[in-house]
Amino acid sequence: MGLLSILKKMKKEEQEARILVLGLDNAGKTTILKKLSEEDITHIMPTQGFNIKSIVQDGFKLNVWDIGGQKAIRPYWSNYFENTDALVYVIDSSDRRRLEESSAELRELLAEDKLAAIPMLVYANKQDLLQASPADEISEVMGLASIDDRVWTIQACSAKSGEGLQEGMEWLIGATRK
Amino acid sequence: MDDGGHVQAMREGFHINWMNMRDASTGQVMWESGEWDCDQEEMEAQIPCEILRCRQVSRELNFSSVEVITSLRLVQSVIFKGELLEEWNFHFGFVIPNSTNTWQQTIEAAEEEEMLPAELLSGNVVIETTFFDGEYPIMTQRVRIWYL
Repeated sequence: MGLLSILKKMKKEEQEARILVLGLDNAGKTTILKKLSEEDITHIMPTQGFNIKSIVQDGFKLNVWDIGGQKAIRPYWSNYFENTDALVYVIDSSDRRRLEESSAELRELLAEDKLAAIPMLVYANKQDLLQASPADEISEVMGLASIDDRVWTIQACSAKSGEGLQEGMEWLIGATRK
Repeated sequence: MDDGGHVQAMREGFHINWMNMRDASTGQVMWESGEWDCDQEEMEAQIPCEILRCRQVSRELNFSSVEVITSLRLVQSVIFKGELLEEWNFHFGFVIPNSTNTWQQTIEAAEEEEMLPAELLSGNVVIETTFFDGEYPIMTQRVRIWYL
């Protein structure tokens, strides 16, 4: 499982892919990536900058950029848009209060020229929590159905249990190859 | 603008906090540096030799910068008895002021028959990491590897 096995599915001619992971603070971006690499997720601190996972295998390079989601850091997100092949947007499904804020940030991202037309995966994270909204409800509240300028999907997941993570990443790599 | 002053401030505000190495297929930490003393010319790392049997190894490096950096890049060299074995280049680009960042690189190990034995490698391998802002070197760090 994980990012290593996903790399094996990439085609020879795709030498490199850059994936950008964004979302509000505490959405679980770093935890998702650590879980995908089978790493310990018990002591994760808020990201005060970026975390990059750079994976090289058989000449392929996968670079995953996870940028901190705190309000003070968000104005710097645009420095990381260049050359992005796919976007992962992470939502805390249990935080109904901030769903509108998350939605507004996403709308801004989707309007960015540098991110135009690239595939987008939305992770509806924290599905292990009782108060989590299901993915279809989040999709409706955020009006995702109106996005018609790119391929996108929403994937229910739990970074804690790992459920849904692999499926999401596989979709993303498949969509990036097209 | 006083470029020299900015480069100096950048150097002073740049710190490597820690490094670790993992078996990338299990995510298990095989070695970690703990708190890092940047002022030392050469650090030593004592790594369990089991890491040489891992199919994929990840090296993770955590660093902080007080200053904004517009074009950060890194050159990492693996040197065996003074000879360059591997060289990695990575372009980070922009670094947020007062940020703490990590770079984790996962690499596939050499085939077993191409692998040098631990006894031969131990104490003879140095990993040298140099950070640059564009053309300006910010810092160089050397770690000598001992396999236990």
